[in-house]
Amino acid sequence: MLGNILKAQWTSARAIVIVFGILAFTIPLASVFYGGDLTISNVFQVSTWLATSRLVGQAIPITALALGVLLGMSAWSADHSGRHVYALSLPVPRWKFVLLRFEAGAILMAGPVAALGVGALLASAVVKLPTGIHAYPLQLTLRFAMAAMVMYAIFFAISIGTKRVVVGTLSAIGALILGDIALGAIGSSPALVEGAYRLLTHWPGPLAILMGRWALFDV
Amino acid sequence: MSYAIETHNLSYRAGKNFELREVNLRVKEGAIYGFLGPNGAGKSTTVRLLMGMLPAASGTIKVLGHDVPRAMPLALADTGYVPERPHLYPPMLVKQAMDYHAAFFKDFDDGYADELLQTFNLVADARLSSLSKGEMGKLHMLLVLAQRPRLLILDEPTDGLDPVARRDVLTALLDFCSQGSTTVFISSHLVHELERICDWVGVLDHGRLIVELPMHGFKQGIKRLRVARPPSLIGDTPFVLLLREQTPYDEIWVVRGWQAPMTQWFDGAGAELKEVVDLDLEEGFVELLRASRTPF
Repeated sequence: MLGNILKAQWTSARAIVIVFGILAFTIPLASVFYGGDLTISNVFQVSTWLATSRLVGQAIPITALALGVLLGMSAWSADHSGRHVYALSLPVPRWKFVLLRFEAGAILMAGPVAALGVGALLASAVVKLPTGIHAYPLQLTLRFAMAAMVMYAIFFAISIGTKRVVVGTLSAIGALILGDIALGAIGSSPALVEGAYRLLTHWPGPLAILMGRWALFDV
Repeated sequence: MSYAIETHNLSYRAGKNFELREVNLRVKEGAIYGFLGPNGAGKSTTVRLLMGMLPAASGTIKVLGHDVPRAMPLALADTGYVPERPHLYPPMLVKQAMDYHAAFFKDFDDGYADELLQTFNLVADARLSSLSKGEMGKLHMLLVLAQRPRLLILDEPTDGLDPVARRDVLTALLDFCSQGSTTVFISSHLVHELERICDWVGVLDHGRLIVELPMHGFKQGIKRLRVARPPSLIGDTPFVLLLREQTPYDEIWVVRGWQAPMTQWFDGAGAELKEVVDLDLEEGFVELLRASRTPF
């Protein structure tokens, strides 16, 4: 059953998986584009190289975010257009069907995650690092997997809901922003948006995993 | 008596304008049950309630002996459902849709599915997004027939199909029914279509089940009578008087449960029965609706 659901999900999400697989493979390689043998470079050159590598590395959380969002949203798009009628007519408890769908999406995510892992390992292998600088391909891959999974879980949960749920979520965000602007205009500065942002992006906020440094190479 | 579908005082409310009121359906096992009603009567809502897709406000539903919605997966394991607007996953191919469906039904008959694929002139490699409405309807019918269910619930299965597709679908359905004792619950407003295939009929109007009886009872028992010198007050009658309309010279009565010996009742009542008109299903259906909407 999972195999069939996986196939079904693949037919609707393969473009996302392929594009993000290529992207995930390319980013770590792009981060070593500017150097091969760093053992013969001076401290300034190594420092510049590391900064460039980190800059390129910032594309990784963005990729994880976009991958999770798109896979999460695509998980139910075909069902939404048919108002879930077909899925509801299948002899599977609803919780189980949701779980199978979630699993299928998580398995599809393994493609881009593996691509990032291979890209990171290759990038680590082609660079000769000076003493004190290390490559973290496995850690980076695991973090990418975690970040993509968190985003996938959030948007899977949002997209499973009816239009009313989606509209409600967007309305709440809109109300927060408008409330912030309105209170700011009358002289009060409650920083609602900033507060919400902090709440989400600082531990234990769900988006905290996307923050911080995303470097394949570090001290 | 065992019933494939049984509802008891089933009620549902959607907003201020629509209400399903205490519907008591009894669909015998092996019956081909036509669920008739005009557009907006509540047929699709009833079907969705039977499928556990809507929560009932009150009342109980049993499908194949299982409580709905509590034991819905058990009921669905033996139920084939074609919705009003068939929808499968558009990026899939026809063959993939068949494999996908088969994964959920242990009795899915691949050989029969391939046979129906030929019968319906469907192309296995066609993408679902490229199928016409008729082809999508036929594919959905293929899937539910090949799962060899004990119960088929079809919600307007031929609505919007061209005559050829409609004939193909109905022929396949009849062919399937002739192979076993599947119960079919078919909702439609196309009366003449149900007349050909159903042996039971239920009529829903404005959310109320106004009649449920065998097709022969419906066709033979509903009559239009022309009555001269009708009594002003009518006491007990051996038939059910549904509608009474005055004309310049006599009265037209629409009755249910009519049998030939009942003509004697008119002599006793001092009236004269001038004519008994047989009604086909469509005429009977129209008269029933008129009667339910204009109580005398």
